[in-house]
Amino acid sequence: MKKVLQVFLGVLTAIGGFVDIGDLVANALVGSRFGMSLAWVVAVGVIGICLFAEMSGRVAAVTGRGTFDLVRERLGPRAGLLNLVASMAVTFLTLAAEIGGVALAFELVSSVNYLLFVPLVAFLVWIVIWRMPFASMERMFGIAGLALLVFAVAVWQLGPDWGGLAHQATHPVVPDGEGHPTYWYYAIALFGAAMTPYEVFFFSSGAVEEKWTKKDLVIERVNVYIGFPLGGLLSLAIAVATFIVLFPEGVEVSRLDQVALPVVLGAGKVGFAFLIVGFVAATFGAALETALSSGYCIAQYLGWSWGKHLEPRKASRFHLVVLMSIIAGSMLVMTTLDPIKVTEYSIVFSAVALPLTYFPILVVANDSGYMGESVNSRFTNGLATVYLVLLTVVALTAIPLMLATKAGQ
Amino acid sequence: MTTGRRRDLALHLLDRQIIDTDGDAVGNVDDVEISEEGYVTALLVGPQALAPRLGGLLGQWLAFLSEGISRSSTAEPTRIGIDLVTDYGSAITVARSRAELGAHRNEDRARDYFIGRIPGADHARD
Amino acid sequence: MRGTDLIGLPVIGPDGSKHGRVLDVRLVQDGPLMGAYAALRIEGLVVGHHRVAAHLGYDRADVSGPWLVNLVVGLLTRGNRWLPWEQARLEGGVVRTDQPELEGVQPL
Repeated sequence: MKKVLQVFLGVLTAIGGFVDIGDLVANALVGSRFGMSLAWVVAVGVIGICLFAEMSGRVAAVTGRGTFDLVRERLGPRAGLLNLVASMAVTFLTLAAEIGGVALAFELVSSVNYLLFVPLVAFLVWIVIWRMPFASMERMFGIAGLALLVFAVAVWQLGPDWGGLAHQATHPVVPDGEGHPTYWYYAIALFGAAMTPYEVFFFSSGAVEEKWTKKDLVIERVNVYIGFPLGGLLSLAIAVATFIVLFPEGVEVSRLDQVALPVVLGAGKVGFAFLIVGFVAATFGAALETALSSGYCIAQYLGWSWGKHLEPRKASRFHLVVLMSIIAGSMLVMTTLDPIKVTEYSIVFSAVALPLTYFPILVVANDSGYMGESVNSRFTNGLATVYLVLLTVVALTAIPLMLATKAGQ
Repeated sequence: MTTGRRRDLALHLLDRQIIDTDGDAVGNVDDVEISEEGYVTALLVGPQALAPRLGGLLGQWLAFLSEGISRSSTAEPTRIGIDLVTDYGSAITVARSRAELGAHRNEDRARDYFIGRIPGADHARD
Repeated sequence: MRGTDLIGLPVIGPDGSKHGRVLDVRLVQDGPLMGAYAALRIEGLVVGHHRVAAHLGYDRADVSGPWLVNLVVGLLTRGNRWLPWEQARLEGGVVRTDQPELEGVQPL
């Protein structure tokens, strides 16, 4: 019974934890501009993150080593460092976007300028990392993030033409008035939002923090294979909601209150309250994950002791890096850069940086010297090959498409 | 224990995590020391050993930075005698604590100047 | 000497032609007992052209798959050669050998 409860909570955490500011912004934006014609990308992204997370979690459970420990070991210190810098830059950008997102949610309820909330948010992020146990931290924000299910409720209440939605999703065409490059640019953004590198750093380092062993792999797989696809469905609900309400009006999402509009129309004031709770939980939870991830990456590359399971005195440099990234991230938001724009860039760069960590993990997952019996199965390797090619193509085309479309305008 | 076992330096030794007797991270194998006779005599740990491997501007910058932080002009990495190794695995385990190895000077500094001063620094939050 | 001083050095044959560069250093545990293990001694050098590909371990260790990676890394590491330490001389930044031809690398 205890086991069932553990699995159930794990799945709920994975669903709520799946959505962060990247998924919110990308899905809302894509829904309002492209309707359901990019829904297939969410499916491709969800399968990709399931594959990558399962592989890295398994590697972490069997070897006890975090992602960047192995990246440096496989690529050597030079290529490893290049990798570290790129991954850190993306993670840092994401952290800034999440902090900005929490502050924007506070602005939405208080009508006080979000910039005033940034230092408070930064402090809260730090204090939670400093004081709260790892498992309760992960669970609390993951489960509170489920409040975003209000998007699904709103869609239900708005009573869309389900057949039409399904037809659009299964027969994707580029909508009138949008060019093919823009369509593909947002496909990459949506993909990067579903498959963000920090999710993998956090997931695999979390496996080490919680001292997973081979025995925990079954639970890990259930969490990933059930939680992430349901999280993907939740993010699709956001796209549907903005599609029904904003697409007919020709409104392109660029602010948070526009994302809230369908919820208010569909589920009223109570719905709005749920939206805020879910939004704060999802972005705050992701801010914790990205801040910790920046510490994980550097500490693992340099061989420092790291992790929340240690008393901070024993992992001082790790905690120093985490603290400094939070400070730097909030300073970036304080420059008044639009957090929504920062989010858009962070998810596209995520897609660019993905192969850098995906490839070394794929190699280690095939190394029986490390993994023994737990090497990739033939099926996993088949799928992994498809994604290796896909991730490479996406990474190579992202920047040219960004330049060609002026970042999707 | 085992004799005749072969290990390739870059593949099995370099860049691996070193763990001390308490299970704490000591650092990575940034390089190894090899004697005239061709025997591996020690593992070398620290930015002073890593910097030359990075080469170029990056290496110089790391060397400069680490000298500045550790305020040492010796520029010598921490040396861990190969006879202290008790296990070669996905991490390399050694039979000393990191304090005894002298491999945590920068960790100490980060603790003494910043982290150790914040209330709650000695509570594990597992 | 540091271990990584060897890695990357050019390996020159008797007629002055280049065999490649040192990609890795094979150590064998057959010396006197030092602590829990026998001392590690240099047995020879892995010589070739593609360092990053060689460090993935596909040519020497128990790494295999997926097929696409096997194929690409296999092509890049196919020419890797073995130079026994007795036949190698370190001369100011290069490794010289009297062997005109080198054998393939034994897997671990």
